[in-house]
Amino acid sequence: MNKILLIIRREYLTRVRKKTFLISTLLFPVLYFGLIVGTGYITAKSGKSLKIAMIDSSGYFDKGKVERENQADSSATIVPVSIAADSLKANFESLGYDGYVIIPANTNWEDGLDNLSLKTSRTLSVESARPLERKLNNIWNSVKNEKLGIDEIKKKTMENSRVEVVPENVNDETANSTIASILGVVAAVLTYIILMIYGSQVMMGVMEEKTSRIAEVIVSSVKPFQLMLGKILGIGLVALTQVGLWLVTVLIIYNVTKGTTSAGGMQGMIGGMQEVFTSVNIPFMIFFFLFYLLGGFFFYASLFAAVGSAVNEDMREAQSLSFPLMMPIIFSIITMQAVIKDPTGPLAVWGSIIPFTSPIYMMARIPFGVPGTVQWWELAVSMLSLIGGFIFTTWFAGKIYRTGILMYGKKPSWKELIKWGFRKN
Amino acid sequence: MALLQLNHLKKNFATQKAVDDISLNIERGSIFGLLGPNGAGKTTLIRMITGIFYPDEGEILFDGKKFDPLNDIEHIGYMPEERGLYKKMKIGEQALYLAQLKGLSKTDATLKLKTWFKKFDMESWWDKKVEDLSKGMQQKLQFVTTVLHDPKLIILDEPFSGLDPVNANLIKDEIYNLAKNGATIIFSTHRMEQVEEICDHIVLVNKGRKILDGTVKQIKNDFKENLFRISFTNEILPEHLGIFLFELVKKTGNEVIVKINPGHTNNEVIQYFLNKEREIESFNEILPSLNEIFIRQVDGTPTARQFQETN
Repeated sequence: MNKILLIIRREYLTRVRKKTFLISTLLFPVLYFGLIVGTGYITAKSGKSLKIAMIDSSGYFDKGKVERENQADSSATIVPVSIAADSLKANFESLGYDGYVIIPANTNWEDGLDNLSLKTSRTLSVESARPLERKLNNIWNSVKNEKLGIDEIKKKTMENSRVEVVPENVNDETANSTIASILGVVAAVLTYIILMIYGSQVMMGVMEEKTSRIAEVIVSSVKPFQLMLGKILGIGLVALTQVGLWLVTVLIIYNVTKGTTSAGGMQGMIGGMQEVFTSVNIPFMIFFFLFYLLGGFFFYASLFAAVGSAVNEDMREAQSLSFPLMMPIIFSIITMQAVIKDPTGPLAVWGSIIPFTSPIYMMARIPFGVPGTVQWWELAVSMLSLIGGFIFTTWFAGKIYRTGILMYGKKPSWKELIKWGFRKN
Repeated sequence: MALLQLNHLKKNFATQKAVDDISLNIERGSIFGLLGPNGAGKTTLIRMITGIFYPDEGEILFDGKKFDPLNDIEHIGYMPEERGLYKKMKIGEQALYLAQLKGLSKTDATLKLKTWFKKFDMESWWDKKVEDLSKGMQQKLQFVTTVLHDPKLIILDEPFSGLDPVNANLIKDEIYNLAKNGATIIFSTHRMEQVEEICDHIVLVNKGRKILDGTVKQIKNDFKENLFRISFTNEILPEHLGIFLFELVKKTGNEVIVKINPGHTNNEVIQYFLNKEREIESFNEILPSLNEIFIRQVDGTPTARQFQETN
């Protein structure tokens, strides 16, 4: 059997068989969605329902209106009281209120009613006063409507006043920019995570071989380049397996829920997924997602391998030396928002051609549509430069690796590493 | 015919000449000692022989043909001084993997491993992990993985370090066995007593150059100084010792160490003492130990001290 295949098989099997692989494969989607759903849930639940006493000196906020509003929305309760302001200030807590508002006597419906203050004994955030604000606004609006003689029908007519503008590409009718943004973010974040996690796995793997001194035994059987390539390909396959499992899970969920109108808490998410599947060319997306994922991985992995070969046991050395490699990855995930906001702007176009940033940028842009947003030539140049990029980094890193893997002692600087990389045999 | 022939090998690193014009022949089936202080260039030399490094100049002939690392590597087994195994990998799996990298098929490798594991009493280890083994046990495993594929050339760098005497003997016997069955062994070490015991032929390198080359016996003869230890049963007096035949080196009680002057034989010396009516109890030549020879050879260089430490 070919020796590279043997190395790939070992790298792959030792990792896939580990419990941590299984756990991270299962746990990641759970955590990811848990985070999204959970944060929404927590924000919704954590806001305490306030009970607020109200002294209405103006006479506009009558009991009937307040009652109707309290029934329509339970996120805050307004209780009209008729106590003197001073005694309410002293006693509102013992009466069981979280705070109180006073509608001034000189309020006139034709003027505004701005800057009411909510008096509390604890400092509340603006956010927690929102439900109260919403209710008072509703009541105030209905007061105004009544005074102006606007009935329910007229009110409806008034409310239909909003004009919404949705971008739609004439070349690509299916492109939906909302879904594209979401899909772009998900694909780019996933690429980012895979690059970071599996890139450092390559580095750690090389360090392990170097520090346990097995490297010298192996390179007396195979060429150092074969060892490096086998490791990168093996770990790449692990990454592919993990992503593949996630994709399959999503496809299964899609197919199972297709056509059913499921009820319950998952409905929103599943409905969203169904919408994604109908509005996006899924095989096309998956192809490019895998291409940029693997391309980006190969581009960076060999450089991580070179760093791993250059350092010794010390994790700090590895961290300081690998930081320059992580910079462009972190940079591209941070600036990705700008790319999604303006997917045809110069940052987006150039960034998705340069292989340092292209795996993440391109994944953020492709959902917006090819050739609507990403021109075919851009895609071709980007793919070619990524392929060329990883051939170059692999060649370059291979030379650093060959020197580094058998070199012990002082940690070399990046300058020395680059010198090793360009040295003739 | 020599299995391995090195002709004027040179290898330079940025700052130093690691191997500077070394030529040597290693006979098939011999146990060859490669000696030298740390930094002498032994490891670099071995790495060129194992195809890890390419020589800058010179050529390597393996089995009569120009050394072709890609194919010949399968006939070489190398155990580096710094042992290396995957700590988290199971022992059987690891040994199989290393054997397959050397070109053995899985079935062959399994079969051979079973035999070796039995021989070394390691059968119960198959599913253990390397990190669970003691250092000596790891050493045995490493030795097995080095010789498993029946290499023509076996290179062992300090094979006995970290082994207890029982296991050291076990390995030593296997080394003899392998040599008897036709394998050629390069044995790299600092431990002179092992070299004297095991090696047929030795080479000493220092600072990238070969400074000694020959059989153990021949080298000892080359460096002998005609020193003899003579002890007497009756008293020996100063006036007995002033003679042109020899010079006195040392006298303790009735025992003297003398250096016989060139042009004179042992018999003349014995005859002289008999004429003086001295009764000789013993008469021995003092041959230098390899250790002494090597210290003398590399003396004056800062690395010479290492040899004294292993004394």
